[in-house]
Amino acid sequence: MSDGQDVVIRRVAETLRSAPEAVPDPRAVARLLSAAWETPRPTGIRRWFGAWRMPALSGLGASAVAAAALLMGFVVRGAVRERPSQEPAMATGEFPVPGGGTPSAGVPVVPAAAVTGEAALVPTQFVLDRPDAHAVALVGDFNDWQGGETPLTRLESGVWTATVPLPPGRHVYAFLVDGTLVVADPRAPKSGDADYGREGSVVMVFAR
Amino acid sequence: MRQLRSATTIAALVLASATAAAAQQPRPVALSIADARTRQAVEREIARAEARGLPTQPLVAKAMEGVTKQASGERIQAAVASLAKRLEQARVLLAPSTSAAEIASGADALAAGVPGAALKQIRAAWPADRSVVMPLDVMTELVARGIPAKHALEQITALMSRGATPAQIASLGSSVNADVAAGLAPDAALEVRARGVMSLLPSPAAAASSAPAGVRPPR
Repeated sequence: MSDGQDVVIRRVAETLRSAPEAVPDPRAVARLLSAAWETPRPTGIRRWFGAWRMPALSGLGASAVAAAALLMGFVVRGAVRERPSQEPAMATGEFPVPGGGTPSAGVPVVPAAAVTGEAALVPTQFVLDRPDAHAVALVGDFNDWQGGETPLTRLESGVWTATVPLPPGRHVYAFLVDGTLVVADPRAPKSGDADYGREGSVVMVFAR
Repeated sequence: MRQLRSATTIAALVLASATAAAAQQPRPVALSIADARTRQAVEREIARAEARGLPTQPLVAKAMEGVTKQASGERIQAAVASLAKRLEQARVLLAPSTSAAEIASGADALAAGVPGAALKQIRAAWPADRSVVMPLDVMTELVARGIPAKHALEQITALMSRGATPAQIASLGSSVNADVAAGLAPDAALEVRARGVMSLLPSPAAAASSAPAGVRPPR
């Protein structure tokens, strides 16, 4: 190190020592930290894509990739099922209720898992007065009799209810109480059951 | 490194295509039947039905109904096999209808005791491109309530010929159900309610002149 450089360093050091001590502004520090925290940090995938560079392809290669993408889109199109619309049925405001009655406000409409249909779905309310039950589910031909698909909601009165969008037609159903007990709807006509000997109930659904 | 990335791109495309292609294959039936022998027998029955072009969803529902009702494996197998036969019969009787919903409704009607000839007559009462799900379902319900099939068929086909809508035909079934629940005799309930729906429809002459091609005029 030369003498000239030593002189420069000494002067800088003296200037810094004579300057007043910097007191950090807490609000400025907070703003700085906040800004740093809110800055989106690249995730692992983003970092991976950031590092990714598309390989250079020849004309033939690019055509092959494009054809593969088109084929993939065509194939995927068949795998995606269109969701049945519920809006037209809801717009009618009609709630056919087995055995009469009106739907309760605030009770959610439960989508039936296996519902498929040619016509607009009609919200249909089911009601079971069973205050002693711990859980009630709706099972029927519209949800493949799967107990976990359509649970009913318990109201304060002890009445269980669910409103399910169903395709117009005749539907056979029952209530599954506490996971095991199959109970016919006391408010609806009975359906015979020659196959299993446990009768269910029938609801005729139609858009008014 | 460049070769590696090219290979990765191609592998990803092939994998995506294979996955999508697999998704397009007939989905395996989600049968939660604990007994393996019963499950396999039901799966075979469903596969046979699928190979014959029959709708399989009613068969899945029938099997799962048996599971929910805690039926034995033998009963579940018998119920599924019996339904598969009815689906086949219904498809023949309802030709040229091919929709799964119509075939399923026809099979339910047969199970309720509706004669096969009635299915044919209901199909013939409307053009082939118009779904007969609702007339079939109402027919099933009326017969299930104890109304003679002949009487029910006369009223339903009369309504169909007069241009009744599916909703009007459905309201007939629903009203009859309510009347029967209130204590009215099923036959009397049908007569009264059919008359009520009929009164809402245009006269036979007007129905015949305004009926679309293929709809048979009332007798």
